[in-house]
Amino acid sequence: MRLELASYEVKDVRLGPRTALRSGVLEIDAGEMRALLCQDPVFEDVKVELARPGEAVRIVHLLDTVEPRVRVSAPGSDFPGFLAPPLTVGEGRTHRLAGVAVMGAAELPLSLGGLNVKEAIVDMAGPAAPLTPFSRTLNVILAFKVRDGLTYREYDEAIRRAGLRAAVRLAETSRGLDPDRVEGFELTAADPVLPRVAYTCLLMQEGDAHHMFVYGRTVDETPSLLHPNEFFDGAIVSGDHHMAAHRNPTYVHQNNPVVRELYRRHGQALAFAGVVISKCLTWSFFDKQRSASYAAKLARLLGAQGVVITAGTSGHGVADLMLNCQEAERLGLKTALTCFEMAGDEGAECGFVTFAPEADAVVSTGNMDEVIELPAMERVIGGDTIIDIGNYEGGGGAPAIGRLKTALHRIYCCATLVGAGRMTAREM
Amino acid sequence: MGRIRMVHYLNQFFAGVGGEKHADLPPAIRLGPVGPGLPLQEALKGEGEIVATVYCGDDCVNANGDEVIRAILELVARHRPNVVVAGPAFASGRYGVACGAVAQAVEARLGIPALTAMSPDNPAVELYRRLVPIIPTESSPATMKEIVVAMARLALKRGRGEPLGSPEEDCYIPRGIRKNVVEARPAAERVVELLLAKLQGEPYRTEIPFPQVELLTPAVPLADVRIATIALVTSGGVVPKGNPDRIEARRASRWSRFSIADLDDLTAEDFECVHGGFDHDLVAEDPDRALPVDALRELEREGKVGRLYEYCYATVGAGAPIDRARRFGREIGEELLAAGVQAVILTAT
Repeated sequence: MRLELASYEVKDVRLGPRTALRSGVLEIDAGEMRALLCQDPVFEDVKVELARPGEAVRIVHLLDTVEPRVRVSAPGSDFPGFLAPPLTVGEGRTHRLAGVAVMGAAELPLSLGGLNVKEAIVDMAGPAAPLTPFSRTLNVILAFKVRDGLTYREYDEAIRRAGLRAAVRLAETSRGLDPDRVEGFELTAADPVLPRVAYTCLLMQEGDAHHMFVYGRTVDETPSLLHPNEFFDGAIVSGDHHMAAHRNPTYVHQNNPVVRELYRRHGQALAFAGVVISKCLTWSFFDKQRSASYAAKLARLLGAQGVVITAGTSGHGVADLMLNCQEAERLGLKTALTCFEMAGDEGAECGFVTFAPEADAVVSTGNMDEVIELPAMERVIGGDTIIDIGNYEGGGGAPAIGRLKTALHRIYCCATLVGAGRMTAREM
Repeated sequence: MGRIRMVHYLNQFFAGVGGEKHADLPPAIRLGPVGPGLPLQEALKGEGEIVATVYCGDDCVNANGDEVIRAILELVARHRPNVVVAGPAFASGRYGVACGAVAQAVEARLGIPALTAMSPDNPAVELYRRLVPIIPTESSPATMKEIVVAMARLALKRGRGEPLGSPEEDCYIPRGIRKNVVEARPAAERVVELLLAKLQGEPYRTEIPFPQVELLTPAVPLADVRIATIALVTSGGVVPKGNPDRIEARRASRWSRFSIADLDDLTAEDFECVHGGFDHDLVAEDPDRALPVDALRELEREGKVGRLYEYCYATVGAGAPIDRARRFGREIGEELLAAGVQAVILTAT
């Protein structure tokens, strides 16, 4: 199973009369995009806005983010299970617009009880910019205005589909053009002396706003296997609207940095054995144990001696992470994990709801409780007011364009769990 | 920046003005280095100088508290130092506390960077390690020479206004405080490298050491539940309609107490769930699902439990810092004990 990923490096993005890619400049016809997405009656309007690295721009109310990709050869289709039948992808040829991120932003006119959509902010400049991968991308923001009176599920599904559709539409501009580079991904036979390493990717599934999709369906209790190439082809789509800091949007799975790193070292330092996907936020201890044990068994069936486990989310998702670690270690597999911290604004508290003694190789994606002061920006995209839920982060209800003191919880993907970010916490 | 100006703080013994019986000596000052200040000055290698030495009896600081600290700060401030160094105090508890208190006050009130040094088992370490950098020493002054080198290096760095590095870089006792930094490489590369080192049997270091958590011993079981008074306490966010105590949806800063004296059942008309960390449609429909007053009343009627206490306690557990949760538990527990409650049913989400 070989996938050729052709990258088209985009140097700039602008609005113009025709959607096209020319000499590394992506031009977008906002009217055409609006017409395409407003075919869905959920939307009253969709505004296309741009934000570039270094600009004094704040983006708020962020939902999912997608990289523009299009499948250009059989078999398979774009975002299977959403835009096409749920048939296996990861083989053939796919184009990507490297350096571009399609970001959905919306304020939904309804309250969801406990699982409300949390505020999510990207600053393209200033002190928060180095903390998120999305201050370095050319961002195409789809600011959705939705009709009143629908259910969360209707809004959520429409917005997700629109983001995917827009990403494919933009990637279509690469058809017939020469790519800047082509990478081939294939699990070739590796020297048997190399350690075999599997990747267990925990995916959240709790309910509306807290869910991830695999081929169009939410993750169920029984772990399963993925070929690493399937990540690159949109098999995993995000509905994670939980705390912005540790979200794993579709974009980070399309570019899953653990999958990329294991591929990069495949055949040299290790043999990449494959990927196990396992649900986190399982409701009962029975199911948590069952999933963790099952996932460890699958990694062993892949012949792995070691496994990288990335956390899926916070709360009792940490219990899933620790159980996965324990079960793998119990089978004799060495583990290394990623995990966020919630160590209080001073960093002086215990940052975990639970922790296993076997978890002795853990990479921190940072303390999300730390407070940051954001300067005022010149322009704001996505909304006017900071969402106020519980307001423990500070600044809820404040004007989005102004100065803002907030816990890092609201900084989109600064502690993203699949390891795309560079933030960590260190004992001082 | 020219030479770093340093003020050194010592106790009466190291200042050479007397032993234990002079421990009540009031604050005093001498120009230039004194005692351990001489090797410290040498370790500064001309990049800094000890402009004055302030000293005080250990008992005087420990017994008189803030009044003496203020007098010491006044002496320190006169010499406009770029940095203040206290000690080393080695294993001496009273001297350690004095060094910690002076260094902390210099930082907090004069806004001048400070540091101290003492042995890791000095009781002052627990009191001050979060507030000021403490360089670890052996318990006796035999190793003075190496210690002053580490002290001088950090003093010069801090005196120049450079930020404090990690405990490894700057050789101080970890403060138990975790600060965010931006790494050169993303987490994914680091986690794969960590695993490879572990697989190859090479040394590796986790970025998150096993957290120090307190293990609790469960209370002695009730002798007879049929005569016990039992209270209901929840972190599930069930509160009277309107949330009169304004419990926050996440990371609650307070708890609520409300009467259930006349109630057999919690209804959606009178109670709501304000928890911000789970889908609470089912609890909103019937609040007893998170705070089971109805079930306890039934057991009470059947004589299976003695009595349901007439107040419930509620907070929201979502994202709760452990220190705060511990305080809530203590506060609620004390009230329940005082009211003669013998057991608590804690419901979470």
